[in-house]
Formats: sequence, C-alpha cells, structure tokens
Amino acid sequence: MLRTRIPEQLPVMEKLKILSDAAKYDVACTSSGTSRGNNGKGIGNCTDAGICHSFAADGRCISLLKILFTNECIFNCRYCLNRSSNDIPRATFTPDEICSLVMGFYRRNYIEGLFLSSGILNTPDYTMELMYQTLYKLRTQYHFGGYVHVKAIPGADPVLIEKTGYLADRMSVNLELPTAEGLRRLAPAKTREKILMPMRQVQNRMEENREELILYRNAPRFVPAGQSTQMIIGATPDSDFQILSVAESLYKKFELKRVFYSAFVNVNEDSELPALPGGPPLLREHRLYQADWLLRFYGFSAEELLSEDRPNFNMIFDPKCDWALRHLEYFPVEINSAPYEMILRVPGIGVKSARRIIKARRQGSLDFTDLKKMGVVLKRALYFITCRGRSMYPIRIEEDYIARNLLYTKENLPPQLQSGATYRQLSLFDDGMLLSAGEQPQAFPVDV
Amino acid sequence: MTTVFLCEDSLDGILTGVYDAWDSRLGHECVKLQLQIDGNIELFCEYRTVCTDLQKAEKVLRTVRKRMGRNAEEAVCYAAACTDDRKADAIYRLIVLGLTMPDGKKAVHCLQNTSVLLVEKLRCKSWREAEKMLGFLRFEELENGVLYACMKPLCAVLPLIAPHFAERFMQENWIIHDVGRRQAAVHRMGGGWYLTDSYLLEKVNQKGRSGSEEEFQDLWKIFCRYISIEERKNPGCQQNLLPLRFRPYMTEFMD
Repeated sequence: MLRTRIPEQLPVMEKLKILSDAAKYDVACTSSGTSRGNNGKGIGNCTDAGICHSFAADGRCISLLKILFTNECIFNCRYCLNRSSNDIPRATFTPDEICSLVMGFYRRNYIEGLFLSSGILNTPDYTMELMYQTLYKLRTQYHFGGYVHVKAIPGADPVLIEKTGYLADRMSVNLELPTAEGLRRLAPAKTREKILMPMRQVQNRMEENREELILYRNAPRFVPAGQSTQMIIGATPDSDFQILSVAESLYKKFELKRVFYSAFVNVNEDSELPALPGGPPLLREHRLYQADWLLRFYGFSAEELLSEDRPNFNMIFDPKCDWALRHLEYFPVEINSAPYEMILRVPGIGVKSARRIIKARRQGSLDFTDLKKMGVVLKRALYFITCRGRSMYPIRIEEDYIARNLLYTKENLPPQLQSGATYRQLSLFDDGMLLSAGEQPQAFPVDV
Repeated sequence: MTTVFLCEDSLDGILTGVYDAWDSRLGHECVKLQLQIDGNIELFCEYRTVCTDLQKAEKVLRTVRKRMGRNAEEAVCYAAACTDDRKADAIYRLIVLGLTMPDGKKAVHCLQNTSVLLVEKLRCKSWREAEKMLGFLRFEELENGVLYACMKPLCAVLPLIAPHFAERFMQENWIIHDVGRRQAAVHRMGGGWYLTDSYLLEKVNQKGRSGSEEEFQDLWKIFCRYISIEERKNPGCQQNLLPLRFRPYMTEFMD
C-alpha cells in the first residue's frame, strides 16, 4: 500500500485543511428541524428553521463545521477520495481539537454547529467510539447547546450508535448509491443490508423515544431533528425513476427527514467509473431535488412523475411543469374555488402562494392582478388557471401550444439544450444559424 | 383638506402617529401618515409633527396584539424596521382595517388590500434581512473577552436580532454595532440586553483583539476555502445568496 503515515502532531491548521477538504463531498449542511433553548449553563441554542452562516464559492450553504474525524479508511470504495489505495495526506483529529474548534467558531457566530463524519479507522466500532467521545466532551464538558449532525458508521455496535444518538440532533447513514447492484460494483465492502440496519435502528429508537417524551417531558431526546441520507447521482447507470422510487420508499418506510442527492464528481481515475467530460451532472441533480420537493410538500408520488417507459426527467421542463403538460385534463383550475391540493399542482404556484391564495380568497374573490402581487409566477401559471371563470387572455389548452409558450420563459439551461430545442425568430442575416442546421453556406437567392 | 401627520422614523414614532391620527377625529380619509424626511410638500395640506410618546405607542401596540393577534403585531414591528416612505401610512391603514373588521385577526390575510399587501411585503423584506443577519454577523473577541460585531443592514434589524443572540450567548458579554444607524445592542453576561447610541463605540475598532482571535479567523478562512468543490464553482449563485454588501463585515471575505 502506498499510504504515507502522517505524524500525529500535525498542527490543527493542517488537519483542518485535510479533513475539511475530505468532507466537502458530503452534501447535508442543514441545521434545521430542532428547536432548543439555551440550557443556562453554556452556549448555544437551535432554531427550527436553521441558519445559513455563509456560502462557499460553489454556492452551497455553510451552516455547520463540516469535517471528518479522520480520513484514514480501511475500505476502498471506488468513488471516494479517501479510499485506502489513494496516496493522499492523512490526518486524524483528537476529540479535544474538534471541541475547541467548534467552541471557537460558534462563539464568533461562524457556524450553527458541528457536522461530524469519518473514514473508518481500524474498525467501525473504534471509529464510532471516538466520535461518541467527541460529542460527549462537547455536550458535557464544554456545555455546547448548538446543532450536531453525526454520521452513524455502518457496522458499528448498535449500543454505540444509540449512545451517540442521544447527544446528536441529526444522524445520517449514507446510502451512497441508489441500487444494491451499484453498491456491489463500486463499494464492495458495503452492502445494502449493512447500511439499512443502523437506519432502521435509529428509526425504531426515535419512535420509542417519541412515546417516552409523551410520558416524561424531560426524558432525554434521541435524534430530535430526524435522520437523513445521501446518494451519489451519475456514478452508476441508474435511471431517475429508480432513484426517485428509492427516495420515496425511504421517506415512507424509514421516515427520513431528507434525502440528499450529490452529483458525482470524479476524483479518482478508475475504470469502473464514468468519465464526465461535461463536469458533474448538475442539472440532473437539480431535477431530482425539484422532484424531491414535489414528493415531500406537493403531494406527488414517484409514479406520477416518472414511469418505467419514461425513466428520466425532461431536461427542458421542470418535473412539475412536465407533469402538468402531460395531464392537461386537470386544467384549467379555478383559483377562487379549487381545493388547496389542486392549486398546489399548478406550475408557477408554490406552497407559500398557495397558502396565501387560500387565506385571501376567504376575504374576497381574487383576480390575476392580485395573484401577481401575491408572488404567483403568472407567466407560467396563466396557462393552467382561471380567475372568476376566465383566463387571463385567450389561450388554447393544448400541449404543444403551452409548451412552446413556456419555453420562452424557461430557466437557465446549459447551452447545448438551449439551441436546438427552441423555436427562434428566423433572421435573414444570421449565417451561424443556417450553418448549425447542417446546411451549406449558399448565396442569397436574388429573386426573393 | 388632508392633514398629514409627520412621524419619526421608528416603530414608536409611527405608532404614536397612528394614535394621534386616530385621536384627531378628522376621519380616516382625511388623514395621512408620513415620515419626517425631507421631501416635497403638498399644497392644500396641513402638516402636524408627531411628538413620539412611548405610552401612546405602547397602547396602540397592545391593542393591535389583543384585537388583531400576534401575526399582525409582528407584521407591524417588522414593517416599521424597513426603509420605505410609504410604511407609516400602510401600517395606519392596516390597523384601521383590523380594528373595524368583525374579526381583526383576519386583517393580515386581506392581501387584496394594497396597504395590507405593502405591510406584508415590508415584513417579508425585513424578516429576510434579519434572518440573513443572524447568520452573517461575525463576532471578534476583544482583549477583555468581550465579543464585538459590526454590521450595516438595509433595515433596522438590530432590535429584531438581539434577542436571538441574548439567548444564544447568554454567558457572554457582547456588543452588536449597527454602523449605518449608529446604534448598538449591548449584552452583559447572564443579564439582559439594551439598545444604546453608539458614539461610545467609535474607539472599539482600534482596540486590540484577544490572542487567539487571529488564529481562529485564519482557521475559518481556510475552512471556507477548502469546503468548496472546485468542479461545482458557481460565483453567481454564491452572490445571489450572499450579496456583496454583507461581505465587508464578514471574516471570510476580509483580506
């Protein structure tokens, strides 16, 4: 093995460089889901909505101090930067170093709390034990009351996971890849069962804890902000339909708070991994997140959005628009009388404006100008709604017609999608367009 | 003829204006509330300057809370923190509507009404600003262990965010300084917080920082640099979520 041993007495600065760099591919950086006051002794509280403290250059929120406990790992998962066969600098924090970092950052309002993940040092049990010690110190010795998100290590002793869960706000086990087959190919040391076991354990314990809390208000709380997971998108040939179905069953059967999707970034040269010349599949990730929201807040199901015959998302229209275009039989929707669930399904109307509509229409009927002021995106919605029985202006409820009109207002798409898919005004002097259509440049016919 | 009540640009000032305008018994159509800022003076208007009275303001706010509910109270407080010339009159109209409706608690939902909508918009605006400030505020540790932060928000969010930090940093001495409005919130360990004029604070910036301050600032800068994924770089998105105006006061963007 090519591994270079790094001396233990590396300065904290170097360790932070190595271990934050190694942790950046973990997606979750949310601090929401739990509300807790200051305990009176120490520092910190939690707000239900969570707080973003900064935004990194890639536009992702920095809410928690996201670090690995160690980037040493006994496994050799092919997609992972920290796999054992990679020759990279390795480092391991001590529990005290993490505590002092968290306290120093939290006091200065840099962070909302800690996100602690880890590679596997020696054995899963040994690693989980170290992470437990860190949290124990943080909560009891430093009296830290802020948010803590900790990874449960698959294969660790259930007792350790349970003990850790009482100190953390959120726990997560990474699903890594959407299908068991992909896992077998890219992460031979991990199996689906091994990953789902701690997930099920946390779920069951949370349920028991809910009952305890009803009986005894001050009983210790187990993972109050729930659990989450993440999967890598685009490393294996799974379809969007498979991914979304997995996510849906996780929400239903494991009561997860969130499923995160992470566009695959190729960090290792490996024959099993796809080459991604166009960079990570960010648009696909975006579509999955949009669909994820539709599952959680809009009452959609995975089968409605995709099917075996149409296993992937439309890259031009967002999933909600796409659904509406294929189900024009439900439209137009009358804003002043339709039920909330139906209003929520109109493209251009979100949860917030749907709620506003419901509240406001009790006080008087609504017109398009009112909707506009309430934050409804009329340029999308107008094809699907009526106010007081009339639409904004005469439109045809036809898929082609609406699709063509919606395209003018589309969101920012990558350039390869922008050309080709849309209709453009023909310009007589636009040589480039004629060329791109595959025609030979020719002289302008004189007799026209 | 319209009578215009000129109020001070503060929550108490506007609420006093609401009290006086109502109390003048000129009729709601004949009165208007404006802020005391230089602007065009209309012909055929009578101008009255409102002298801010905390008792009157408290009375109005209590009535709003009782008759129109907590949501309306919050909307009024947050809207008053915004910088917008129309806010005083919009708040007045909202309160008039709420107190004349059979159920005042529904007044904030009447978004068809332009004043209610404006108050709601302003509430959202300063709520968003306050929410941003909760995250983007950066404290520095002074030599004597006091935490000091300065900011320059668009809305007067200092009184809105101070309770959050009083809860969070209960066992700390801290000062939050609104540089633009020359106001400061001061909190003493284990005690409450109060608002003060900030002329005393002008020298704090020259004061020394504690020994570990620079080290933590460097660690934080390093962390912010290393946590971003090069392949996903997206400065436009970053700037959308974290506008440039916040950055002069944020540790990770100082160099």
